[in-house]
Amino acid sequence: MRTSIINTIFRKEILEVLRDKRTLYLVILLPFFLYPALFFLIGKVGQSQAGKMQQEKVTVLIDPALEQTPVPALIGSDPSFVIKVQAFDSQALAEEKTTIGIRVDGDYAAGLAANESVILRIAGDFSKDLLDGRKQSITGLLNKLNQSLLEERLQGVKLPPTFAQPLLIQEEDLAKPSQHIGKVLGAYAPMLLMLFIFTGCIYIAIDITAGEKERRTLQTLFTTPVNVREIIAGKFLAVACVGLASALMNLFSLVFAVLLQAKIMGGNVSAISLAISAQGWVWMITLIVLSTVFLAALSMAVSLLANSYKESQSYVSPLMMLVLIPAVMAQMPGMELTMTTALVPVLNICLAIGAIFKGAFSLPAMGLVVFFALLYGLLALYLASLIFGNENVVTGEKVSWKLLKG
Amino acid sequence: MPASIEARNLGKRFGEVHAVQEVSFEVHPGEIVGLLGPNGAGKTTTLRMLAGLLAPTAGEAFINQHSVQKEPQLARRALGFLTGDMDLYRRLTPVELLAYFGQLYEVPQPELRRRIDELVEAFGIGEFKDKHCEKLSTGQKQRVSIARTLVHDPAVVVLDEPTTGLDIMASEFILQFIRRMAKENGKAVIFSTHHLDEVERLCDRVVIIHKGRLQHHGDIDSALAATNQTRLADAFFEMVR
Repeated sequence: MRTSIINTIFRKEILEVLRDKRTLYLVILLPFFLYPALFFLIGKVGQSQAGKMQQEKVTVLIDPALEQTPVPALIGSDPSFVIKVQAFDSQALAEEKTTIGIRVDGDYAAGLAANESVILRIAGDFSKDLLDGRKQSITGLLNKLNQSLLEERLQGVKLPPTFAQPLLIQEEDLAKPSQHIGKVLGAYAPMLLMLFIFTGCIYIAIDITAGEKERRTLQTLFTTPVNVREIIAGKFLAVACVGLASALMNLFSLVFAVLLQAKIMGGNVSAISLAISAQGWVWMITLIVLSTVFLAALSMAVSLLANSYKESQSYVSPLMMLVLIPAVMAQMPGMELTMTTALVPVLNICLAIGAIFKGAFSLPAMGLVVFFALLYGLLALYLASLIFGNENVVTGEKVSWKLLKG
Repeated sequence: MPASIEARNLGKRFGEVHAVQEVSFEVHPGEIVGLLGPNGAGKTTTLRMLAGLLAPTAGEAFINQHSVQKEPQLARRALGFLTGDMDLYRRLTPVELLAYFGQLYEVPQPELRRRIDELVEAFGIGEFKDKHCEKLSTGQKQRVSIARTLVHDPAVVVLDEPTTGLDIMASEFILQFIRRMAKENGKAVIFSTHHLDEVERLCDRVVIIHKGRLQHHGDIDSALAATNQTRLADAFFEMVR
C-alpha cells in the first residue's frame, strides 16, 4: 500500500466534507453546541417552570371538622395556599386542577386526647406536577405539627423527645460533588458520544460509498492504478476522522458545559468539575478512537450494500438501532462491565466510558474492552474490504452475496 | 507494430447469462476503432473488462502489452477510460479534480502542473476552472471528464458514448479532439457510440458486437462489402438483425 495514494484519497474526501455545509453542521456544530444548549435550556426552563409553580395559588379545602384545629392556620402560613373551610366531594375534587382537600377521619380532638393516631387525608389529582408539589409542602407542614404533638405527648408522660426516636439516621455522603456529576454523565454521555460518532461516520460513509456508486465516480476511481486496499484505507481514514471529530466535539462540549454550569452556579469549579484522572482520559480517548474505527468500518460496509444515496439512507435507522439499543442498555440500573458485557459491541464501550466518568474503572476490565473493541473494529474493517472488493461495487450494481462469499 | 489494446477471446458470464463470448480484436497506436452494437449487446461489459473493472470469465485483455488481469496497475497506468455515465466530484473544481487524478496516476508534480495547464487550454476549461463541478453545464462537465481521462497522458483511450447528452457544438468539439488525439498524438482509441455518422467520420475500423458475440471486425468498407450495403447504418442493421 502506498501512503502517498492513501493520503491523496484521504485529503480529497476531507476537502469535500469541509465544503459540505450540511455535514459540517451535523458533525462539528451540533455536537459542540449540544451540551451547553441542553444545560442552558434545561436550567432556564426548569427555573422558569419552578418559579411559575411557586407563584401559582392553590386552594386548600379544609374539612369543617378541622376548623377548630391548628391545621387551617398552619397551612395558611404558606402564602401560596388559599384556605377555604368547606366540605368537599372526592369525585368533584378529582376534576380540579388547582385544589387540594384535607379531611379528618373521626374526631380530631377526641383522638388526640385518647393518645390515638388521628388520620388526616390529603386528597387531590397528584398526577399534576403543581398539586403533587404542593401536597409535599402540606405534608412537610403537617409533619412539623405531628412532631410538636408527639413532643407534647412525651412531655405529658415525662419522657424526653429522643424516646420516640431510638435510632437517628444521618446520611454521610463521602462522594465528592464531581462523583455525583460523574454518575449522571456516566449514564447519558456514552450514549450521546456513540450517537455522535455514528452520525459523524454514517453520512460521510454514505456519501463516499453509495453516493459515489450512484454518481459512478467510484467506477472512475477503480480505473486508476490504485488498488482496492488503498481506496478503502483513504476513505476509511476520512470517515473515521470525521466520526472522531464529531465525538471529540461532543466531549469538549460536555466538559465546557459542565465547567460553565459550575461557574454560573457559583460553585467551586475545581471541586465540581469532572473527576477523571489523566489515566482515565487516556482510556477514554482510546475507547473513543476504537469505537470510531468500529462504527466507521461498519457504516462503510453497510452503505456499500446500497446502490444509491436514498437506498443507503433506509439502512441508517436499523443501523442506528443497532448502536442505540446497547447504548441505552448501558444506562439500565445494575448494568456493569463484566466478562459477558465486555463482549457486546457498543455496550462494552458505553459501560467502560461510564465507569471512567464515575471514576471507578479497573485496568483488567479496560484492557478487556479495548481488546474486544479492537477485534470488532478489525472485523468490521475486514467486512468493509470484502464488500469493497466485490465486482458489483466497482460497476455500481447491487452487491452480490455470492461473489462476496467467493 | 504491437497492438495497444488486445481483447483475446474475452468472455463474461453473469450466472447463466453469457454477456460476452469469444470477443477478440486489436487496436494499434494512432487508430480509432468504433465499438458498435445495440443496447445489451455486451459493449459496456467488454469495455469494463478492458479497464479491469470486471474480471473476464474467459480469455484475457491487454493494454499496452500488459495483461489487465495479471498486471492491473501497469495496464491501468496506460489507460484513460470514460463512460457517458461517469460523473465528477461535485465539490471539487475542474483543476482540483485533474490534480487529484494526476496524483492517483503518480504523475510527477512539475509535469502534472504543465499537463493540467495544457488540458485547461485545450478544452477551454479556463473560464470555469474555479467553479465547483456541480455547477457546470453538461457540455462543460464532459470536457472536464475527457480532460480527466487524459491527465496522465495515456497511450490508450477508451471512450464509451462520450457525446451522449451533448449539443451539436459540444459533440463536434469532442469528436475533433478524439481525432487529433489519435492522429497527432498516436493514441489508440476505442470509441463506442450509437451515432453511426460519428463512426463513419472518425473511425478507421469497427468492431460490431451482437448478443455478446463478435459480428464484424475490420474497416468500414469491409463491413459494407460483407453486407452488400452502401451505408454503415444499413450494414449494421443487416448484421444485428
